[in-house]
Amino acid sequence: MGMCWCKKKNEDLECYVSQITTHQDVNVVLPPPSPTPQLFYSRPSITKSPDPAVVDRLVLETLGVIETLVDNEQEPPTSMVQLHNIADNEDGWIQVVNSMIKVIPLTDPLGPSVITLLLDDCPLPSKDSIVKVVSLFSLSRQTALMGRNNPTHQRNTCVVLGSIAEKLAGPRNREILNDNVIDYLLTNLEPETNPNVILFSLLALEKFAQSSQNKVTILNKIKRKHPSPIVALEKWKHDIHYVKRQVGFCAQWILDNIFVIENRTYSYLSVKMDHINAMLNTSDVSEYLKISPDGLEARCDAYSFESVRCTAQADSGVWYYEVLIITPGVMQIGWATKNSNFLNHEGYGIGDDRYSLSYDGCRRLIWYNAKSDPQTLPRWQSGDILGCLLDLDNQQIIFSINGVSLPPSVHVFSMATSGFFAAASFMSFQQCRFNFGAEPFKYPPAVHFNTFNSHGNLNPEEKVVLPRHIFVNQLRQQNINEDSCTLCYDNKATVRLIPCEHSGFCASCASLLTECPMCRAPFQLVVEDNPVSS
Amino acid sequence: MAALPRRIIKETQRLMQEPVPGISAVPDDSNARYFHVIVTGPEDSPFEGGLFKLELFLPEDYPMSAPKVRFITKIYHPNIDRLGRICLDILKDKWSPALQIRTVLLSIQALLSAPNPDDPLANDVAELWKVNESEAIRNAKEWTRKYAMDN
Repeated sequence: MGMCWCKKKNEDLECYVSQITTHQDVNVVLPPPSPTPQLFYSRPSITKSPDPAVVDRLVLETLGVIETLVDNEQEPPTSMVQLHNIADNEDGWIQVVNSMIKVIPLTDPLGPSVITLLLDDCPLPSKDSIVKVVSLFSLSRQTALMGRNNPTHQRNTCVVLGSIAEKLAGPRNREILNDNVIDYLLTNLEPETNPNVILFSLLALEKFAQSSQNKVTILNKIKRKHPSPIVALEKWKHDIHYVKRQVGFCAQWILDNIFVIENRTYSYLSVKMDHINAMLNTSDVSEYLKISPDGLEARCDAYSFESVRCTAQADSGVWYYEVLIITPGVMQIGWATKNSNFLNHEGYGIGDDRYSLSYDGCRRLIWYNAKSDPQTLPRWQSGDILGCLLDLDNQQIIFSINGVSLPPSVHVFSMATSGFFAAASFMSFQQCRFNFGAEPFKYPPAVHFNTFNSHGNLNPEEKVVLPRHIFVNQLRQQNINEDSCTLCYDNKATVRLIPCEHSGFCASCASLLTECPMCRAPFQLVVEDNPVSS
Repeated sequence: MAALPRRIIKETQRLMQEPVPGISAVPDDSNARYFHVIVTGPEDSPFEGGLFKLELFLPEDYPMSAPKVRFITKIYHPNIDRLGRICLDILKDKWSPALQIRTVLLSIQALLSAPNPDDPLANDVAELWKVNESEAIRNAKEWTRKYAMDN
C-alpha cells in the first residue's frame, strides 16, 4: 500500500501546500521535490550541526510527498533520504525530532504517522541521545499546563514519546519514563486539554507500559487519582466529536487490556450482542489491530499495516456494508477472500494482492494487486460513510462515499468469484466503524442486496472479543499431562519405533512420520507399548 | 478464538518458566502462534554485545512443519539475507517435529557464532567473508554496533 519509503512522482501536492501554509509556525514556501535523490543512505560527508530551517523544510517536504508514496518497491523520497542522513549523528537526530515537533500541523491526517515513520526510518540513536532529547523537553505537570495553548507542540511531543517507547521496549524504557514524564502525560489526560493531546498521551502511556515495570509505576500513579482520569475519558467513546471518540475508544481498550483497575467490569461482559450476527473476526486479524468489545470498530496504533476480515462470507448475490470513517487517514477498505495475506510488517494489506480489492479515500485510490487507480471524489473526512457493494452476479464492486458512487471495479473477479469477506487495512492511528446491517444503513443502494448481519450466524462464544491478557492467561492455566505424546501433547504417548527404539509418541503422530523425529532413521514398525487403558 | 494445539501451549509455558539464557521468546498478546524473539549476540563473535530482534511464527501444521523465523534487526551475516531470512537446514529439509522453538533459537544463536559462507544466502556478504574475512568481520561488528546496540 506504499506507506513505506517509496514514491510516485508528485502530481497533486496542492492539498498539502494549502494545509501547510495555514499553519502559524511555517513561513517557508515549499520548493518542488527534487527530481532525483542525490544521496541514498550513504554516510553524510559533513558532521556539523544541521541548519534547523533546512530540517524543518525537509520534514514538511516529507509530509507533503508521503501521500503520494504508492509503490512499496520504489525508492524513498529525497527529503526522507536527506533526513535519514542528517539523523545519522546525534545532533542531527535531535534536530530532526525537534523539527517534527515544531512543524507537523495538528490537522494533517497523516501528521502522527509521518512522525512514527520518520523515527522508524532514521537510525536509532544511542540511549544517551534519547535520554538527552527527553530531558530537553523538560516535561512535567507544569509544562503540560503551560502547553495547553500550543496543542500542536504537545501532541507531537506525545507522538514522539510513544514512538520512542515502542522502539525501546524493555529496561531501557524505564530510564526515559521518570516521574516528571508520567506527571506530564497524566496531566495531559485532564479533560481541559486538547483532545488530540489527550489521545496521544494515552497512547504514549500504553506504549511505555509495554515494559512491565513501567506498567506497574504508571498504574500506581493512576490509582492515586480520584476519579481515575482514564475512566472519565472512556465515556467519550460515543462522542460526536471524532477526536474525542478516538480518545474514548483508546481509553476503553487500555482499561480492558493494559491498566486493569479493580471494580470495573470488563467491557466484553457488559456489551449487548443479541442483535449482532456478523462482526470483525478476532481469529482472522493481524496481531496489533485493536477491536472494540462489540466487534464492529477497529483501530491501529502500531506502525505496521494492520488488517482484518469479517466473520461471514459472501458466495453469490449482491452484498453491502457501510463503514463510518472516524479518522481521515490511510485505510484500505473493501473485499478479500481467504487467499489474501496480511503482510502487516511488509506494508501489504487489503488491495495489495490478487485476492482483494479496496478503496483508500485519503489518497483517493482504488487498490488491486498493490497497484492503485486514482479516483475523483474528494478526500474522505471524519464522519463520512463509505459504502461497499459486492455484486457477484454481475462481478463488480462499487464503492461510494456518502451515497456518491465510484465507477465499478472488476479486476479481482479474474481470480475469485466467491468466498468474499468484508476486509480492511489500517495505517497507524486510523480507526473506523463497520455496519454489517445490525443498524439501518445511511445510504442503502437502490438494488436488492444481502447483509452479513442477516445471513451471519455466531454462537455466544464466538461473539466475545476477549481482552488479550485474559486469553493468554486461560492458555497458561491449561494442564498438560506428563505422559503425553512429545509431538502433539494431545494424546498419551503409547508407541515405540522399530528398529531405533525411540518412544514418546502417540499413534496418530506416528502415522504422520516418515522418519524418527529423534534420530532421523527410517522405521519399519510402530509398536504399542502402553495401550490407552479402556 | 481459535483453539490452540496443546503442543504450542506446552512450549509457551516452558519458555516462560525456564527461559533459555541469552534468548527471549514472548508470544504476542493477540496471536499465540506469533513470538517476539530477542537473541543476544554470542561472545567472541562479531555480534557480541548486540541484541537482535526476530519474529517467529508457528504455521498451521506445526510441529509437522518448521516454524518460520526471520531477523528483524539488520545483521551482516553470510547466511542471513537483506530481508532477515535465514539459511539454516533445520528450518527447511532437516526439520524434525522433535525440534522445538527453543532448539531452533539455540541453533540460530549457534549460527551467529559460526557463520558458514559456503552455504550462503546473502551472496555479496558470503563472497567478502570468503575473500577477506577480516573485513567481513569488521563490517559485521559495525552493523552490530549500528543496528543492534543502544550505544
